[in-house]
Amino acid sequence: MTKPLNKLTAILNAKAPYSNAAGKDALDIALIFGSFEQSTSLFFQGDGVWQLIQGQDGAIISVKDYLKTFAAFEFYDLENIYICQESLSERGLTADFHIEQVAVLASKEFADKLATHHTILRF
Amino acid sequence: MPTLHIVRQSAFNSDDFAQCLQVLRDNDVIVFIDDGCYNLHHKLMNTIDSEAGIQLNVIGKHAQARAITIDEALYTVIDMNNLVELTLTTSRVITWQ
Amino acid sequence: MKKLAVVVTTPPYSNLSVTALDYVETALKSGVELVGVFFYQDGVIHANQQAHIASDEYQCIKQWQALQQTFKLPLHLCITAAEKRGLSDEEPNNIHPIFTVSGLGELVELVNKADRLVQF
Repeated sequence: MTKPLNKLTAILNAKAPYSNAAGKDALDIALIFGSFEQSTSLFFQGDGVWQLIQGQDGAIISVKDYLKTFAAFEFYDLENIYICQESLSERGLTADFHIEQVAVLASKEFADKLATHHTILRF
Repeated sequence: MPTLHIVRQSAFNSDDFAQCLQVLRDNDVIVFIDDGCYNLHHKLMNTIDSEAGIQLNVIGKHAQARAITIDEALYTVIDMNNLVELTLTTSRVITWQ
Repeated sequence: MKKLAVVVTTPPYSNLSVTALDYVETALKSGVELVGVFFYQDGVIHANQQAHIASDEYQCIKQWQALQQTFKLPLHLCITAAEKRGLSDEEPNNIHPIFTVSGLGELVELVNKADRLVQF
């Protein structure tokens, strides 16, 4: 096993949850990185913010609801969750999420936070 | 500590470039590749602060293949070797696709 | 000397993959150490031996093969993403032999080994 390094990885989620697999593919990476004790943050921007919105029910359209797994982030030490305020505003959304312990950031702060990471994967 | 933004989607088709601009910081580097070259003539380009020290690059053959004209006063025409170099000289890379 | 890792998420029938190959080949030829390429999402379709691209079109697989052989470039295939797309490493195995069957744990390794990771 590679020796643990203090390398920060960001996973930037940009797609709405149901019509493609991007969110699930990003989640799989996040959970693996978390279980390998890699310092990993999750960012939500653009339509990616829909992944966090309260009240969705994928089961109605036969989606295996991977969003429920978000509740396990803490268990995987995924404690840095950042949401772009502008992306919420553009969509007329308020900060009503299905998980707690998230930070809503204005785009300047969102950009600054993202730039503290060494590796950025976007899905 | 600039970030390298590799933009490979047309803003006429997707929101990716707009999201890139949302997280752009002073002195960052943008490289337009693939369909990202179509952004050279998108009105979003006018929203980039000319004082922010943003480097704008385009892969020459990707633009040429698409019959996109390049204003060389605004954009630096680069090749794949330059993109590899930029990957190593900037601090992190985000691919907008 | 800085080390690179590359993630490929686009399929072999997309010109986006030609760009990824161009980038990887350019990096290798300029002497940059590439610790590996990780194929994820539709990128895994590159490994499908049963995928046929018309002979007058760009043959990604031949390019990957040349790079893998010339530069001993590790090509890691995410098996979970691959199985979803009809690939299998069990008999009858249809994964091209230049690929190493891997999981997302390998991506963790690549991120740690590399100074920069570029996603295509």
